[in-house]
Amino acid sequence: MSISSDVLNEPQDRDAIIRMDDVSVTYDSGDSYVLDDVSLAIERNEIIGIVGESGSGKSMLASSLLDAVPDPGQLSGSVEYRPVQDQNVEVLALEDSELRALRWEEISMVFQGAMSSFNPTMKIKEHFIETLEAHNAPVETGLNRAHELLEDLYLKPGRVLGSYPHELSGGMQQRALIALSLVLEPDVLVMDEPTAALDLLMQQSILLLLRELREKYDLTMVFITHDLPLVASLADRLAVMYAFELVELGPASEVINTPTHPYTRALLNATPNLNAPLSEMRPVKGKSPAPINVPSGCSYHPRCPLDTEECRTNHPPADPVTPEHTAACFHWEEARTEISLNYAETGTNDGDWR
Amino acid sequence: MRMNSYYLKRTVRAVLTVWIVITITFGMIRLLPGGPLEQLRGKLLRQGVSPSRVNAMIESYQNVQPNQSILEQYYEYMTALLTGDLGQSFLQKEPVTAIIGDALPWTVFVMVMSTLLIFVIAIGWGALMAYWEGSTFDLVSSSASILFAAVPFYVLGIVLIIVFGYQLELLPTGHRLSPTVEPGLSLLFVLDAIDHAILPITSMVLTGAGLQVLAMRGNAIQVLGSDFVRVARLRGLSDRRISVRYVARNAILPMYTGFLTLIGFNLGGSIILEEVFSYPGIGYYMFQALEARDYPLMMGIFLIITVALVMAVYIADLTYGLIDPRVKSGDSREAY
Repeated sequence: MSISSDVLNEPQDRDAIIRMDDVSVTYDSGDSYVLDDVSLAIERNEIIGIVGESGSGKSMLASSLLDAVPDPGQLSGSVEYRPVQDQNVEVLALEDSELRALRWEEISMVFQGAMSSFNPTMKIKEHFIETLEAHNAPVETGLNRAHELLEDLYLKPGRVLGSYPHELSGGMQQRALIALSLVLEPDVLVMDEPTAALDLLMQQSILLLLRELREKYDLTMVFITHDLPLVASLADRLAVMYAFELVELGPASEVINTPTHPYTRALLNATPNLNAPLSEMRPVKGKSPAPINVPSGCSYHPRCPLDTEECRTNHPPADPVTPEHTAACFHWEEARTEISLNYAETGTNDGDWR
Repeated sequence: MRMNSYYLKRTVRAVLTVWIVITITFGMIRLLPGGPLEQLRGKLLRQGVSPSRVNAMIESYQNVQPNQSILEQYYEYMTALLTGDLGQSFLQKEPVTAIIGDALPWTVFVMVMSTLLIFVIAIGWGALMAYWEGSTFDLVSSSASILFAAVPFYVLGIVLIIVFGYQLELLPTGHRLSPTVEPGLSLLFVLDAIDHAILPITSMVLTGAGLQVLAMRGNAIQVLGSDFVRVARLRGLSDRRISVRYVARNAILPMYTGFLTLIGFNLGGSIILEEVFSYPGIGYYMFQALEARDYPLMMGIFLIITVALVMAVYIADLTYGLIDPRVKSGDSREAY
């Protein structure tokens, strides 16, 4: 996270490991967009948090990174994977066999609900073995790595591997799933609401473990969640999604402490935090649009206090707030004064959330 | 420890069920005023048989001394049962055990074959329908399944007899063997037995498979949509492994108990089936016993059907834990 210009407009300048360009996902033969022209560069070894409410397209973004959008969704645009700096792999153009090799070997994914990610009639160990065999990886070394990963995650490898999924607790299953996703040494780990089904203590300890894993295995992580405070403490950068688009992107501390897009500001005002009294909390008025009925222009304009004629007709481009921070809003400068936050705006890196 | 107590519980329950059924039938036959024994006694006396001979006959039919107290009779009856003595058939002038011993294998053959075929068809067909959910194949199969499930097997059986037996003259209309064929370990015997069983089995399978096909389709669709199948695909597992180890296994599991209990239920259903096809299995004799008020035979067959059903449920309970690791102790998966 150093120098360089606007991430959204000129991502080539950075060492991106995955570059998404104008990625859209449509259903009903193009009538409803569940991901709308998203461009995003994921940098090597960063943890990027993708935040949005339910039905904002977060999971679609995660699935499109592996070209794994559920049928009958149509994925378009470009997803480039760069295993090393000067090598480009267009994920959406891969053959089935190449895609099979990319998934789990290069880019791996952890779904929400670990409890339902394992075959209930097979022991955990068989899941590891069959994954290794499917990728023609040596089983013995793979299992050794599994042992190490499970130990890194503070699990007893022997016991976990010899268990059926239902014999483990939710947190243990979640950690076993993370170990399974890393067994083929991928570079990128995409996590879709990995902690949603866990209690707060378990969420926190898994976040700590993820940070340790990133250091140890040089991972790039994409962390998708609706829980902004949760990811704020983990992520290097935050991307905020609204109505199937990215509305704000920037370093986590900046997005939290000096949020710029009206939606991000409203969202933060609606989130409980220790420095604001409960009476100051404000829900975001209205409701987010359904995929078949996204408003024209800026999709947030019906709920935005700052909307003008321009917002209703034109689609706002990502505008640089700082070199590393963009917001897709015509009025982001006014937003900072017009929509006050219920906690102190600091503009520094050691904000209230971290 | 918990497992042992589970097995013990199931065993005790199975034995208890059989015992209660025996006791109730014993009581019903004996305690109803003007019961069958009185009727029989009256009939024999009217025919001019001497009272002492009548008593001796009744005793041999039911293992009962008429002048004993009910408790003594009950004790005698139960001990006779435990030694495998079910009494003497009025009608066939043979021990009930001999009749059942002769008839039961045929019924078991027809019913186990039917039930096996039902489930083989259900698993294969239902899985295909699930894979091609929403296709024309799926739609046509669903409608056909419901249609066939709505037809009673005895109606289909009669239609099959008329078409294949009388009109086309392709298959025998009844009986378990041709008059010329003797039971033995010969190819002729096996082929003849199959020839006679085709129509009864067909009518059971066609009418019984529909609901199971739909059940399998539903299970498989549910499993196909589950997260672990999606994760397995992303992990790069072969389609073959996913369909066998993931989809098939998890979709078939819930049908296992149904399969075993259906065998038990079908043994009871043999009464009508075997009457339609004049197929001398236990159901056929049961019907004859009912018509002729042959109480010892009736009770014997009733007992066999009950025991078969209880055993089916018992085996299902005991073995489910072996095929589904989630049910080690079984308590959450009792068949009944």
